[in-house]
Amino acid sequence: MKLDLTHHAPLGINLQREQRFFTTGIICSIFYSLIFLPRYQQAHSMLYHWKGDKCVLIPGAIIEDFGVLLENALVGFLILALCMLALIIYHYAYHYQGSKSIYLMKRLPNRWEMHRRCITLPLLAALICLIAAIAFLLIYFGIYMVFTPKECLTLGQWQKIWSVLL
Amino acid sequence: MIEIKNINKSYTGKRALKDVSLRLPQGEIIGLFGENGAGKTTLMKCILGFLPYSGEITLDGSPITRKNIARLSFATSEHSFFPNLAPKGHKEFYAEHFPRFSEKRFKGLMDFFELPMNKTLRNFSTGQKNQFEVILSLCQGADYILMDEPFAGNDVFNREDFYKVLLGILEPRETVMLSTHLIEEVSGFIGRAVLIRQGKIIGDVSMMELEESGHNLMSFIKDTYHYRADRVSRALDELTGRDE
Repeated sequence: MKLDLTHHAPLGINLQREQRFFTTGIICSIFYSLIFLPRYQQAHSMLYHWKGDKCVLIPGAIIEDFGVLLENALVGFLILALCMLALIIYHYAYHYQGSKSIYLMKRLPNRWEMHRRCITLPLLAALICLIAAIAFLLIYFGIYMVFTPKECLTLGQWQKIWSVLL
Repeated sequence: MIEIKNINKSYTGKRALKDVSLRLPQGEIIGLFGENGAGKTTLMKCILGFLPYSGEITLDGSPITRKNIARLSFATSEHSFFPNLAPKGHKEFYAEHFPRFSEKRFKGLMDFFELPMNKTLRNFSTGQKNQFEVILSLCQGADYILMDEPFAGNDVFNREDFYKVLLGILEPRETVMLSTHLIEEVSGFIGRAVLIRQGKIIGDVSMMELEESGHNLMSFIKDTYHYRADRVSRALDELTGRDE
């Protein structure tokens, strides 16, 4: 069953183009977030040194904080979410393009219809960005916690994330 | 009845409407006449609630809000349809939002004007766009149909057809307020003429009264506007220096 999104968008708008833009944006954001992995891999390798043919943990070595390694890896999702908010403005402006369909929307008995059609999909898309960002944050945090030797971690990593994100 | 009481409207200091009072009873076809910038469009937009104003506009005693706005429809030369949507999409949207939308009338008028149902409006000619704009306003199921120069760009045969169709299909409860410059064309089709100048109502007369007094609409408008018949010849004389 295919979900018909046209009922949640301004009438006659090019939804396919918006869907393409969003899909491209989310793919780029995911790819950009992958920069965390080489950064982590490099930080992880610095915890070890070679003794003969064996790779051993450097005594007292501490890995960089998760927040530092993450840095701006999730910024793509934020930019895309902001674009979705800008899309709301475009949806309102659409009612002045080529005609004054705003006159029709303002005459509808349902006062929320235009707002619903202008806001719903961009908000949903921004929400998807947020969820994706959280999902990747958790995945990367999981990788950081699982693959880093316990003795190389400092306390309060989760709390430190917020100082980087905010 | 739509009752307009002492409406005032200003645009950045310039008064567009000055103490306008008017009654629009059901079942009338009213022509609204005035030069460009006289306030015709502003008056209609105030009635529809598109513009803020001071004064009072009521529909059967109640203010015009979302609760009763469906009783008013609007056809404008600026067009209020969605250019990227086909008539079929508009029909579905209107039927969803206006409970009294008349599919029968819609189909009848679309057939009469031979407008395609599945072609997007942006690909229509200007005349077809105007026709479609008026069709939507007539099919919404409104009691008060406000038309703001809806035929700008239509040829004379087309307009003639439309007046005839309009007279034929209007129900007794339906009121049309038509703003136009095509005075002579609509004179046989309206029941009342309202004249507006510089934001003020300067004339309001029924066509029957006009007929009884031996006037026609054009002469009434010219008299009310103090039109100087020798204006053109004097201007030409001055421009060509014929007196010298």
